Amino acid sequence: MSGAPTPVEAARRADRARRWREPTVWLRLAALGLFALVPLVIPSFQATDLAIKIAIFGALVASYDVVIGYTGIVSFGHAMYFGFGAYAVALAVGRFGAPTYGHLLVGFLAGIVVSALVAGLIGAFSLRVKAIFFAMITLAFAEFAGILAVQWSALTGGEDGLSPKLPGVFGIAYDGGRLLGIPVTGKLATYYAVLAVCAIVFLVMARFVASPLGRTLQAIRDNELRAEALGVPTFALQIVSSSFASVVAAIVGGCYLMWVRYVNPESVLGVPVMLDVLLMVIIGGIGTLWGSLIGAAVLLTARLLLPDLRGLAVLLGGSELVQRLTARWLLVFGVLFILVVFFFPKGVLGTARETLRRRRMGVAPEV
Amino acid sequence: MKRAAPTLAVLVLALLPLLGMEPRVYLTLTVAGLAMGMLIFLVASGLTLIFGLMDVLNFAHGALFSWGAYAGFSAVLLLNRGAGWAESPSVLLNALALLAAVAAAVLVALVLGVILERVIVRPVYGQHMFQILITLGATIVLEELIRIVWGPNDQVMPVPVSFQGSWDVADVIVLRVPVIAIGLGLAVYAGMLLLLHRTRVGLIVRAGVESGEMVQVMGHNIHRYFTGIFALGSALAAVGGLMWAVFRQSVSPAMGGEQLIFAFIVVIIGGLGSVTGSLVGALMVGLSYNYVAFLLPKAALGVNMALMVLVLLIRPTGLFGASR
Repeated sequence: MSGAPTPVEAARRADRARRWREPTVWLRLAALGLFALVPLVIPSFQATDLAIKIAIFGALVASYDVVIGYTGIVSFGHAMYFGFGAYAVALAVGRFGAPTYGHLLVGFLAGIVVSALVAGLIGAFSLRVKAIFFAMITLAFAEFAGILAVQWSALTGGEDGLSPKLPGVFGIAYDGGRLLGIPVTGKLATYYAVLAVCAIVFLVMARFVASPLGRTLQAIRDNELRAEALGVPTFALQIVSSSFASVVAAIVGGCYLMWVRYVNPESVLGVPVMLDVLLMVIIGGIGTLWGSLIGAAVLLTARLLLPDLRGLAVLLGGSELVQRLTARWLLVFGVLFILVVFFFPKGVLGTARETLRRRRMGVAPEV
Repeated sequence: MKRAAPTLAVLVLALLPLLGMEPRVYLTLTVAGLAMGMLIFLVASGLTLIFGLMDVLNFAHGALFSWGAYAGFSAVLLLNRGAGWAESPSVLLNALALLAAVAAAVLVALVLGVILERVIVRPVYGQHMFQILITLGATIVLEELIRIVWGPNDQVMPVPVSFQGSWDVADVIVLRVPVIAIGLGLAVYAGMLLLLHRTRVGLIVRAGVESGEMVQVMGHNIHRYFTGIFALGSALAAVGGLMWAVFRQSVSPAMGGEQLIFAFIVVIIGGLGSVTGSLVGALMVGLSYNYVAFLLPKAALGVNMALMVLVLLIRPTGLFGASR
């Protein structure tokens, strides 16, 4: 059956031939290289911490983007799965005697299974109601998970949280001597392990959204009625998509625990985490996947730098009001955020892509 | 009969705990639950207008709640410092102080509401995602402004003397503030029903929600009406915030956040755009919270969420929602 290729096949072949010549591939590799270099070049803890948190939250936000940007489901409960992953690993490693790699693996697996089950159940029960109601139901479940984590303190440590010890090379006391003049510590090993997991997770997600399944999900997002009329099992695929994203979120949550070595309800389960994720996905650009890295980088860096504005106020020697204004860096952030939403509704990467596309097609960019 | 079913269900639900407790305890809890429900209704009624009727997901509602509380707080503080109205034993002066606080809250919220609608909400009508985001941004800004103007810490709300304490009616403890809240809530409920269903303005707004273009063709400036409704909803949030502050005797910059989630739950339980629905929903939330807090203290916080999920599973459009 070797006739002329169908248009879809032809397009796919052309895509494959172009793959290694696309500038974006090199851009992504460069980003990975940059992440890999950070702990070697800049030995300060603050820089490494920022870099790996950008990778972790970038992956989390990308998984949220799969749900909201590629499938069109507005969920406010996504951070809950992140929390599940973190708590599962923390419990598996911390509650069963001396930690081993097996415990770590079991923790990740438990987080994955629980998240997939819960996401599937919530989806099966409530994806049939109107979109905004689904958002509220997921918010309700997330809130409930947070309450559970606080109240069930015998297991979760309540408000105080858990701070488990990690096994083997990830342990804080691990000392692997020097490699090429760089001290190999538990922190460094964790950095690269987490970075590797984040990179793999990103690749899997990129593959997922570009797969036929991913294309179908985008069709559901764009016009659910039409997709259904074409015979697409929309309801089942939406559940698959949200379960997949929640599994990714759980894995990333485990990574977060490995890096921070501490978990409490507020830092991984609460509404604030969800808000951060929402802000990051918007800043980076909904439906761009890779934009989530930009969003995470912008927000986390702003978090780190904006409080330093206080120094500026001292320099200006301003009145008390000026001091109060600058002490509340969140205000600056809020105003910036509103402006971003107004003027770059597609986020950084979405806007950049559109500008490039317009330029390529010879149309003047929209002002 | 079909309209009466939800109300009937609420009544049965309200009587159910009688099986498990003494009648006297039950009465106390019921009064407290009704009061809490009315306080929630004050907030939710504003959201019914903005979210239920105009279909705007206004996450800044919580911030307006806080602003109302702080505006009233300042008014009472000012009057008390200047003339001692809150501390004087005269009921009249106390009532005047409270009225002044309500007026201040309403005024501030009206101004803020108009600004918010004009600047922030108008460009994003019909786009839920952006409404969420932009009003979240507004919430951050408004809350930070509170921290700048009034300081970041919790403060004690001066409550006029006549409204403190409680009455003891046949061994049932009745706090005074909740009674005022119940009265105010009923007044707001009646006022909203009258406004929406008996006046020309209400007719135009309801028609404008159904088909804005058609109403504009008929020669009404729909934008002006929507601005007005948004401001009115904001004012209701502010009054709710003030009453909450009086009830709790304290104000804090982030006080609106938790109430916002309550209010959304209530509006969803009641059905979008239904004033009666949000009243019934608020009472359900208030009552079940109080009963469960007494019977199973640890489950109290989760009960509202469970209630919402249950209602939505049985009736996906809410108790009084039109099945669109």
